[in-house]
Amino acid sequence: MKIRNIVMFLLLFVGFAAFAQEQKMSDREVAVFKQSVNAVSKKITSLSTDFVQYKHMDFLAKDIETSGKMVFKQPNLLQWQYKKPYNYSIVFKNGKILINDEGKKSAMDVGSSKIFGKLNKLIVGSVSGDMFDDNEFSISYFKTKDNNITRLIPKDAALKKYIKLIELTFDKQDATVTQVRLMESSEDYTKIVFKNKILNAKIDDSVFNN
Amino acid sequence: MQKSMIRYLTISFLALALLVSCGSNPVRELPSVTVESPVFENKYFSDPVFDYVYKTNISVYGNDLSGIVIVKKIKGNAHRVVFTTDFGNKLLDFEISENDFKVNSIVEELDRKILINTLREDFRLLLREKFQIESQFENETDNILESKDKKKYNYLFVSKNGKKLHKIMHSSKRKEKLSIIFQSENNIFADNITIQHQNIKLKITLNYLKN
Repeated sequence: MKIRNIVMFLLLFVGFAAFAQEQKMSDREVAVFKQSVNAVSKKITSLSTDFVQYKHMDFLAKDIETSGKMVFKQPNLLQWQYKKPYNYSIVFKNGKILINDEGKKSAMDVGSSKIFGKLNKLIVGSVSGDMFDDNEFSISYFKTKDNNITRLIPKDAALKKYIKLIELTFDKQDATVTQVRLMESSEDYTKIVFKNKILNAKIDDSVFNN
Repeated sequence: MQKSMIRYLTISFLALALLVSCGSNPVRELPSVTVESPVFENKYFSDPVFDYVYKTNISVYGNDLSGIVIVKKIKGNAHRVVFTTDFGNKLLDFEISENDFKVNSIVEELDRKILINTLREDFRLLLREKFQIESQFENETDNILESKDKKKYNYLFVSKNGKKLHKIMHSSKRKEKLSIIFQSENNIFADNITIQHQNIKLKITLNYLKN
């Protein structure tokens, strides 16, 4: 009896703790949140930010950490540049993917790969927050003290094979994305944390030459 | 006309086969010495606590692929091997030991039998820890240990100076099929590894990712 009480208490406590951290948004809150994110993302002409990427896999002792800089310019120029521990940059530009791997350059057509097109849209969307497409994703909305969180489950079967769930964490203050988590399975995910974000600075197109 | 053509082709093939098979294994030409130890241990992937994380470049018939390879020793003599893109998306995940092989996941684009079989054989050799040594040869700088691998042979090149394993050559009686080249500061960890095939245009390089 006693043990059952303890278990009950623990369950309740853990349950309560989880609720205290994260709550589901009400329909009204969702509407307000979506509106503010859309308003902000509409005003974004450019965005540059540092990022740290953590690759988590359950069998590893620690996450694999890579970091660098991301630059986005409307409507669809995106550079993702890893600086540590190696130099690798990838540019999404006019339907092409340009890769610079420690000085070794290559290019491919996004058009030739439907999945890359979708990934491209997903990456740009993740950064700007413009992701609330109910045709593409089943979306749920949560809030914590400092953040709003959305969880998106892809509806597209091809995309779903690569990504089970996308979790976007928004800063409540400025309604921009601070963290992206791409879950491949319950054990494996990639977490990208953005820091030192600069909005709407003038960015030269040559940045995307790669 | 057709008959003579066929005959000509047959002769050419025979001549070619003879030429190839006449080339003899250069290791076996070297002076043979007494086998120092009946077992050689490759320690480069032997620590079960360590995450072996390498940046990888795969060059296959002129195409270059880049990503990250993670190797971890799991139960017994098995290793888990995962290939991801630079973004972290998992491309291929398998478990391998001397006798077992299990693919946990693979993306559709890579799901080709020939590719999987090649990687299986490459990584089985790369991650193999114990080699039974039957003969030993030497040149100026290295002791070369011969280990039988079914119908083929593995030649382990171990530097006399420092006792470092710096090359494994997988070879038939006469012809080199594949070589793995290690660069190592000590003899328990390899900073750079190159897997080079001789009969297909495939080269895999691994550079340790210092976190």
